[in-house]
Amino acid sequence: MRILVADDEVMSRRLLQKTMERAGYDVTAAENGRQAADELCKPEGPKLALLDWIMPELDGPGVCREVRKRKEQSYVYMVLLTSKESKEDVVAGLGAGADDYLTKPFDPEELKARLRTGIRILELEDRLIEAREEMRFQATHDALTSLWNRGVIMEMLERELARSSREGKSTAILLADLDHFKQVNDTYGHLAGDEVLKETARRLLSSVRSYDFVGRYGGEEFLMILSNCDPAFSLTRAEEIRKAIARLPVQATAGPIPITMSMGLLISQEWGHRPMEELLHETDSALYAAKGAGRNCVRVAIADSLVADRNSLEAEAIRHRR
Amino acid sequence: MAKGIFDFEELLSRVENDRELMRDLLLIFKEEFPLHRQALREAVERKEAVRIGSEAHKLKGMLSNLAAHEGAEAAARLELLVRKGETTEFGGPFAEFDRIAKELAREVDSCLAGVSR
Repeated sequence: MRILVADDEVMSRRLLQKTMERAGYDVTAAENGRQAADELCKPEGPKLALLDWIMPELDGPGVCREVRKRKEQSYVYMVLLTSKESKEDVVAGLGAGADDYLTKPFDPEELKARLRTGIRILELEDRLIEAREEMRFQATHDALTSLWNRGVIMEMLERELARSSREGKSTAILLADLDHFKQVNDTYGHLAGDEVLKETARRLLSSVRSYDFVGRYGGEEFLMILSNCDPAFSLTRAEEIRKAIARLPVQATAGPIPITMSMGLLISQEWGHRPMEELLHETDSALYAAKGAGRNCVRVAIADSLVADRNSLEAEAIRHRR
Repeated sequence: MAKGIFDFEELLSRVENDRELMRDLLLIFKEEFPLHRQALREAVERKEAVRIGSEAHKLKGMLSNLAAHEGAEAAARLELLVRKGETTEFGGPFAEFDRIAKELAREVDSCLAGVSR
């Protein structure tokens, strides 16, 4: 465990440093309060600190105040060392954000015992952070596939559409559905179905770029958001993903299971400013069209304005032919 | 070693019987102490209360670390005078401190010779 030792007095610093090293700590030494505060506020700075009260540039309580103010992400356990010992001093030191207080000259065993208390608190903090991160993951990811869950992928879509509209770029929305998934469950069982879903998620993730988003939209439906996707290449990208899914059967416990996906694609730039729900509905209609076209294919949602443009171009061509 | 102007046994316990560290501390003391002692003397001569307070505080810390209690108490008396605002009478307490400091310097030399052997 790393520890910062801050004392402007050379003898005290040397004594503290050596005592801490002997106790197995990795010691960083500072000669004044400013150095100490800067070191402790670094992202990977020490999480334990022994601070002399009286130091040049910034005193011990000043270091505590600054660290508490600047470092919000993780806790630093700080012990003030001083020959000040009035009640008012103790109150001032703890009020500044110190966790403990030890009078000088210190007893090595007492110092180590106090630091062990600090380590217990830091370990508790680590466990709490770990639990919080686990809960955060569970709240945002699908339990089976570990993809973004429906709520999160919808939020991301909303955000991406707003961003692409603001920046005049295009986002491709891809809604994909495993073909004949009910048959997989009926033929091989639900455990095999779960294996297929997991493998599909893995293949989808490895087929998109690191800044695209993939989420589980429903049972066997997946929603992909391809950010900044050039409209001219969106269909090609969707086809690549579809082929990556169908390339090899899933090697499930029950044996190899061939899979394919039908996909609906919508290119946001072609639809102007429409509500997300409307765009999703159109993407879903394109997916439905892909199912109707025999499955294992991609269909693009065409905006009414493009259909009208296309119709007028065709009418123009017919007039010319006459 | 007999208990003199600094407590050798207490110092040894403070460094957890690490004689090499003890030697280091004595060498640092030999280098640093005369500088602060001189700074304190100058501050007393000029009656610079703030500086007397800060030098006395440093010397008190050094002497406490060395388990030189008599010297630490003499430095603490000077620091206390400043804190109480009694800035007129530094001469006597400083003379007392200086007497102990001289004796201490001799003891540290002799201790260093013992530790180095």
